[in-house]
Amino acid sequence: MAYETVKVDTPLVLRILPVASVVAFFGIWQGVVDFGIVPNTMLASPTQVAVLFWEKLFVADPDGAVLSVHAWVSIQEAFTGFFLSLLVGIPLGLMMGWFNVAEGLARPIFELIRPIPPVAWIPLTIFWFGIGIPGKVFIIWLSGIVPCVINSYVGVRMTSPTLIQMARTYGATDWEIFKKICIPSALPMVFGAMTISQAYCWTTLVGAEYLAADQGLGYLITMGRRLASPPMVVLGMICVGLTGVAIGIVIERLEKKLLAGIRR
Amino acid sequence: MKKMSGKRKAKIEVEQLTKSFGDLLVLNDISFDVKEGEFLSIVGPTGCGKTTFLNTLSTLMPPTRGRILIDGEPADPKKHNISFVFQEPTCMPWRTVKENVAYGMETKKFPKKKAEERLKYILGLVGLTDTENLYPNQVSASMEQRIAVARAFAVDPDLLLMDEPYGQLDVKLRYYLEDELVRLWKALNATVVFVTHNIEEAVYVAERILVLSNKPTKIKAEVRVDLPRPRSLIDPAFVEIRKRVTELIRWW
Repeated sequence: MAYETVKVDTPLVLRILPVASVVAFFGIWQGVVDFGIVPNTMLASPTQVAVLFWEKLFVADPDGAVLSVHAWVSIQEAFTGFFLSLLVGIPLGLMMGWFNVAEGLARPIFELIRPIPPVAWIPLTIFWFGIGIPGKVFIIWLSGIVPCVINSYVGVRMTSPTLIQMARTYGATDWEIFKKICIPSALPMVFGAMTISQAYCWTTLVGAEYLAADQGLGYLITMGRRLASPPMVVLGMICVGLTGVAIGIVIERLEKKLLAGIRR
Repeated sequence: MKKMSGKRKAKIEVEQLTKSFGDLLVLNDISFDVKEGEFLSIVGPTGCGKTTFLNTLSTLMPPTRGRILIDGEPADPKKHNISFVFQEPTCMPWRTVKENVAYGMETKKFPKKKAEERLKYILGLVGLTDTENLYPNQVSASMEQRIAVARAFAVDPDLLLMDEPYGQLDVKLRYYLEDELVRLWKALNATVVFVTHNIEEAVYVAERILVLSNKPTKIKAEVRVDLPRPRSLIDPAFVEIRKRVTELIRWW
């Protein structure tokens, strides 16, 4: 084999530092609460949160559902919105990048809707869909679609002009160039869009549930506030964070696998 | 060795080719023929409009006036096989070496079986068989250029245009690839137009050299290179022709 992958060991320091920083973070947090520097009514300590986490795995009270149900509802909403935004946003962005007609038609409307924060749609959404899952999915979809369109568009626009010329000299049609040159060349940007869009969807989810929900991680945070329970608020936040990280890792793995040729 | 007689059929006819951008006249009434299976080099001073010349020849750019005929018909990339090897590497990073070479045949919709056979043959000719499954970022810059050359020859082009394909490589590799190019040209009987600013390179590879003038570009002179191959860079006859072409250009 002419080509071999070289393995490089990560230096010890680089392996220890991330662990040390996480330990220090939780240590200081615990100390700040335990020694009363921040009163317990304003912030829960990590151990309190951990205890509640264990309880909430089995007990539905006082907020009406166990943790796994909350998480599952949130994941369903976020992913439905996320996939719908990929489904619409990526093809739309790619087409806008290559076909002038698509750009001319879609760009002005897109630019008009883009600056409106997704949460501003909540009142209208409640009129249209009530407080069920479809309304939240709609808001999540709106926030996820923006990076999909922008990145796919820019990705196509960044296609090397020489590659396009090369394809033209072989007599490739516009559609063939779009399919075989522009789309593969835009893929790294499209995967970037997936990461960003997923983050947007997940962030918007909490906002959407904050106003209109009866289950979900965002709802857990709202209930924590209503019940004046800092541990529940923090638990909700941490669960949102951890689930987001997990989804991010899955997408990164997928990206690495699919882009073997483009990434060094 | 092919017949060097003047009786060969004209494959490409360029008639009064003129190109201007606004008031700037770049190509000024250029007419010439390229014979079937001929290796023609085009040299000229820097900035003489070589790239514009090639872009119009390849039909990437419409001429302001004049026309280009291939086998007596107006050149059309959808009908004719025109290949273009660009100065910069044009490998698609998401395709393997093999898939990159096959791209032209794929676009030209070669029958699957014929394309596969030809791909194998060409990869062997340019010595890319060992690396056929690697991605372009795993091979050297000179290999990337060979991929582009292989892709261009693979479609059995009516006209193969090359825009200083080896301009960015070091001397040793260039000699090696020039020999390879001559070998490919002979083996596949292609019609080649090779643009370069390197006079020695032009004399080394070409059967005939067209010398271009400064802008607005015209054909200043035509030089035949009737030397046997393989050519030697220190052969007095070679040096003589090289000096003549250099005199004709005089860019200093």
